[in-house]
Amino acid sequence: MKLTLTNISLKYPKLIIVAILAIMLGFLMQFPKVQFDNDPENMLSSQEPVRIFHHEIKQAYALYDFVIVGVVNEENPAGVFNVDTLGRLHRLTQQLINVQRSDSGLPVVVVPATATAAEQRIELDLTPTKKWEYWLGKIFSHEANALFDEQGHSVIIGHEMMAPSVVDNIKQSEMGSLKIEYLMENPPQTAAQALQIRDDAMNNPLYQGTLVSEDEKAACLYIPIVAKPYSYNVARLVRALTADWPAQDQVLITGLPVAEDTFGVEMLLQMATSAPLAGLAIFLLLFMFFRNLSLIMAPMFVAMFSVISAMGLLIGLGYDVHIMSSMIAIFLMPIAVADAVHILSEFFDSYSRFNNKAETIRYVIGHLFKPMLYTSLTTIAGFASLAFTPIPPVQVFGLHVAFGVAVAWLLSMTLIPAYIMLFVSKQRLAKLPLKKQTNSAAAESLSLLARMGNLSQKWSGTILIIALILVGISAYGISQIKVNDNPVKWFTTDHEIRVADDILNHHFGGTYTAYLTFEEVRPQACDCEKKSHLIEAQARKRFTAHSPKETEEFIAKLHQLSDQRAKLAGCDVSECFYQLLQEADRLDQKILAGWNLLADEINYLDPADLTTTTLPIRLQTVASDVGDELPLLLAQLSAQHELVGEPLQDAALTICETHLNQSYRSFVVEMQAEVTAPPFKQPKMLRYIEDLQEHLQQSGLVGKTTSVVDALKKANFELNYAEAPAGVNALVLESYAARNRTHYAVPENAAAVGQVFVQLEGMKKKDSLFHMVTRDYRKVNIWIQLKSGDNRDMEAVVDLVDQYVAANGAPIELKSRWAGLTYLNVVWQDKMVRGMISSLIGSFVVVLVMMMMLFRSALWGTLAMIPLTVTITLIYGIIGLVGKDYDMPVAVLSSLTLGLSVDFAIHFLQRSRKLYRQSGDWIEVSQVMFQDPARAITRNAITISVGFLPLLLAPLVPYKTVGFFLATIMAVSWLASLLILPALLSRLQRWVFPKIDSRDHQI
Amino acid sequence: MRTLLTTIMLCLFVLGSSNVFAQQLSADEIIERANQAAYYAGADGQANVKMTITAKDGITRVREFALLRLNEANGDQKFYTYFKAPADVYKMAYLVWKNLADNDDRWLWLPALNLKKRIAPGDKRTSFVGSDFVYEDVSGRSPKEDRHRLIERTDDYYVIENEPVDPSSVEFSRYTVQIDATTFLPMLAQYYDRSGQLYRKVEALEVVDVQGYPTVTVAQASDLVSGSVTRNEFSQVRYDLGLKAKIFTERFLRRPPREVTR
Repeated sequence: MKLTLTNISLKYPKLIIVAILAIMLGFLMQFPKVQFDNDPENMLSSQEPVRIFHHEIKQAYALYDFVIVGVVNEENPAGVFNVDTLGRLHRLTQQLINVQRSDSGLPVVVVPATATAAEQRIELDLTPTKKWEYWLGKIFSHEANALFDEQGHSVIIGHEMMAPSVVDNIKQSEMGSLKIEYLMENPPQTAAQALQIRDDAMNNPLYQGTLVSEDEKAACLYIPIVAKPYSYNVARLVRALTADWPAQDQVLITGLPVAEDTFGVEMLLQMATSAPLAGLAIFLLLFMFFRNLSLIMAPMFVAMFSVISAMGLLIGLGYDVHIMSSMIAIFLMPIAVADAVHILSEFFDSYSRFNNKAETIRYVIGHLFKPMLYTSLTTIAGFASLAFTPIPPVQVFGLHVAFGVAVAWLLSMTLIPAYIMLFVSKQRLAKLPLKKQTNSAAAESLSLLARMGNLSQKWSGTILIIALILVGISAYGISQIKVNDNPVKWFTTDHEIRVADDILNHHFGGTYTAYLTFEEVRPQACDCEKKSHLIEAQARKRFTAHSPKETEEFIAKLHQLSDQRAKLAGCDVSECFYQLLQEADRLDQKILAGWNLLADEINYLDPADLTTTTLPIRLQTVASDVGDELPLLLAQLSAQHELVGEPLQDAALTICETHLNQSYRSFVVEMQAEVTAPPFKQPKMLRYIEDLQEHLQQSGLVGKTTSVVDALKKANFELNYAEAPAGVNALVLESYAARNRTHYAVPENAAAVGQVFVQLEGMKKKDSLFHMVTRDYRKVNIWIQLKSGDNRDMEAVVDLVDQYVAANGAPIELKSRWAGLTYLNVVWQDKMVRGMISSLIGSFVVVLVMMMMLFRSALWGTLAMIPLTVTITLIYGIIGLVGKDYDMPVAVLSSLTLGLSVDFAIHFLQRSRKLYRQSGDWIEVSQVMFQDPARAITRNAITISVGFLPLLLAPLVPYKTVGFFLATIMAVSWLASLLILPALLSRLQRWVFPKIDSRDHQI
Repeated sequence: MRTLLTTIMLCLFVLGSSNVFAQQLSADEIIERANQAAYYAGADGQANVKMTITAKDGITRVREFALLRLNEANGDQKFYTYFKAPADVYKMAYLVWKNLADNDDRWLWLPALNLKKRIAPGDKRTSFVGSDFVYEDVSGRSPKEDRHRLIERTDDYYVIENEPVDPSSVEFSRYTVQIDATTFLPMLAQYYDRSGQLYRKVEALEVVDVQGYPTVTVAQASDLVSGSVTRNEFSQVRYDLGLKAKIFTERFLRRPPREVTR
């Protein structure tokens, strides 16, 4: 039965080959439909709560993914704050805001006309000029000029751009006036103007460390784009627009979207180069082993066809090729050739015995069938277990590799025999060297293997002890593993993305952004009674001394309204305040009508000829309508009889004001502002945010934080700023400065906060405030800039915030949530680690059960698991010990290890057991084992390790990682299988080789 | 208010019988009449405004204020804006002197900070208190700042296309205004960005006659990019009240005139 497939293939080789080719053609035809997805965000399901929240936050605060362009000038003594650099920045900003599509679909940048210069339009063609890149783009249908959405609008969201030329600034101007304009309203014409822009930027907490670096050497543009996949093209556009900039203005492009998108594009490059290179290396190695071109083409076809099948299925099913699935070819190739190499190796060694292709094949497959089936099944189990991880791209990856492995097995059973029948000539085979005449290299390796065999027998105890010690050290190493990932670190250190990242994070508060949001836990909470008590206490404090009777009337009304309110559902207190206002007006009329009338009259007086003498005469018109107030006022003014005109008018009004400050109406409105203020118009809440930011900044874990509080404090400072008069002494100057500094703070009450916010709402760039607070001031968003995108650094900040919030409750209970790409990476990483661990354990159990079934023995099944256990422990121990981060590729390697390293054990144990049944003597068996079977295993190990060395040349770290660890895994599991297993077998002879059990003859 | 002056809007015009001559009017003449109709009705004017800003996410912000406007002989104007609600901006006041020959003068009064501050001349196309109207919508854009072209004429309205004389001073590349042929009130202004995309519009949604002046009583500005819409409803509009110039001085910031507190 096990030979059925093979026999059919031997009988109808042409049919089989044609059928396989037809199927492959079917898979190949799926390829043109390929779609790429290089968004690590898709590591999380689109239904993942944190991802949904991330998008809600982007919507709520109008946030976008940014391409960050840094300009660094280390040569000019003024850094970037010189006329030329700022002029270039201004021009670049204008160009990027105004990108249009020409009729031919090419991007056109428009530099708007000015009063002196006409509009400029520059058409660009971003198609790569290098032939290689050009064709690569063609093949992967990457359109370099794709900078427009379906309606033809630029993918750059111009009005949300953040750059010195287009962000608001608020500053002092002539005669104590306040100027509201863009930070760089016009490009500077003189060095002094350039330095003014520097000072303005450094004095604005929103921009210092974000738009401009504190060392003055660098400035940034934040280019918002509609979707991350455009970031690569936008980066290329920026490079094209800055190509003629002098070397001293270094242009650096970074940001997670660019890193991710660039990775995606380079990933295509890797798919197009690494996999074929690996194939070539395997091919050369096989040729070295077998010296028969036509023979070794067979495993190459198996590898190629299984990759085509897996990728064809993936594309055909409509999955995007993701960072993970781009590695399918690389993972699949070593596994796919394994069976074929075993067959070839045996065929090569046995042909001389039969001198008949079909007979040899039947013999080889006959005794390899079971181990090959099981090695394939275990590999499939290892990869298929990835389907149970919570990460969609990893699931897709695992299942398709599993499918590819199944195809490879099937091809090994069918294609290889058919191929040998049709394409390998007997003449060539006849020339195969006889087994004993193998070339010297083979002989050497044979003798090396034989020595290994001896070693494993003579020093079995030592080997086992060393293995145990290594496992112990590795277990410690595993405990040291740092789970961490950072898409920017997927590039090698000399990659321009990494370089830009390093430089910009050196100058700035950080290019990695996360958003920390706060909102009330109970937004509907009314606290009507509490509010009423607050108003009562304030009313007593303010009015009792002045108008005790009215105070009690007012409070009675307040109680009445509060009691009514308590019986109603809902939280609308506006009706209460309306009625309270009516009462206040009544009281004001009673006690302040005279002062009001008087103040109005004074206000409208013509100041000409106004003196303390003429004032009473001019006020006679209202004397009959006011009572004691007029004499009182005149009495108080008599002390200031030198005043005339407007100053007198002001003095009189000031006296009126002292009385009018006792207005119940003003009080009610003030209280209304205070008790109905949403959380983030309340000073105590804003100070809470301020303190949290301060705490984060002190910790050193974040580069910079920015919130609505920063904008508020800056505006409050500028509004209240008082310039010291010219010529005053240092002491006075300092007192002015000290007074001004006190205003660099959250204002005292809700009304003051509200009034400053209204100024910020009405800045030149509408709504920029609402990137940090919602329009109803109920939720805030703190921008956190990190200097590193490492998940561990992000996690540390999350922990810090959690601790702070736990230790310092907000005045109104708040809940915090995180969003932002840097944070999303943490979430999927965490899921990945847990998912991988459970999937590894799951597949370990499955493989163990399979092994017990294969050997029909718990002991033998357990033995088969030992090399892979040692290998996995060692590999991850090394990762922990050398401090390599446990990242995505490393995590996925565990399933590869499981699938591959059990193979050698299966082959070794299965053959050993079979040979033992024939000879009954373990020593003899081990000598035979270290000839042909060990050689097949060794060839496989070498093929796979060496075959993947080209990956080490890749500019992308995940590929390097895979290359390096594949080689290491092969080496370790080869050693484990050929040293530990025989050592164990000789130690356990008594149990593993009981009297021959006749039932097992079939094996 | 309608229109009025000030504020926002666009509006009206003065001659009831203009239609007789309308056919012969040039683009410049039409714009000049529209400017008069929208911003210069009466010798002075007053209105209460309820401004509702509705963002794309549905959050609304309501601001209520009173507006006073005074025309001066040379075409200059003075505006006084006094906020009544919400409670936190109660008594906040803005004063603007629109000077045709020079930069505008602006002051603001923030009662909770006990602060009077002068605002340096700046861009008139900045948002008016966070709404979708810009200062220029409130006080009017000088016809001299654009080149005008009549692109459509029907019995009911004219459509004028306007291109800025100094493109770097504004964010639009051009805008069109549809002007009512009878009232000469601008009914719809549409602004296009540099890629020719319509991104903003200002409309007169309701017009009534007040003391013989056609007056916009509901005006709406839409930011088509952000999805934000601001609706201004004018009430208690009155013209020719005999407002005194002294009301429009810094003194009346701290203690508002009776005209707005009554």
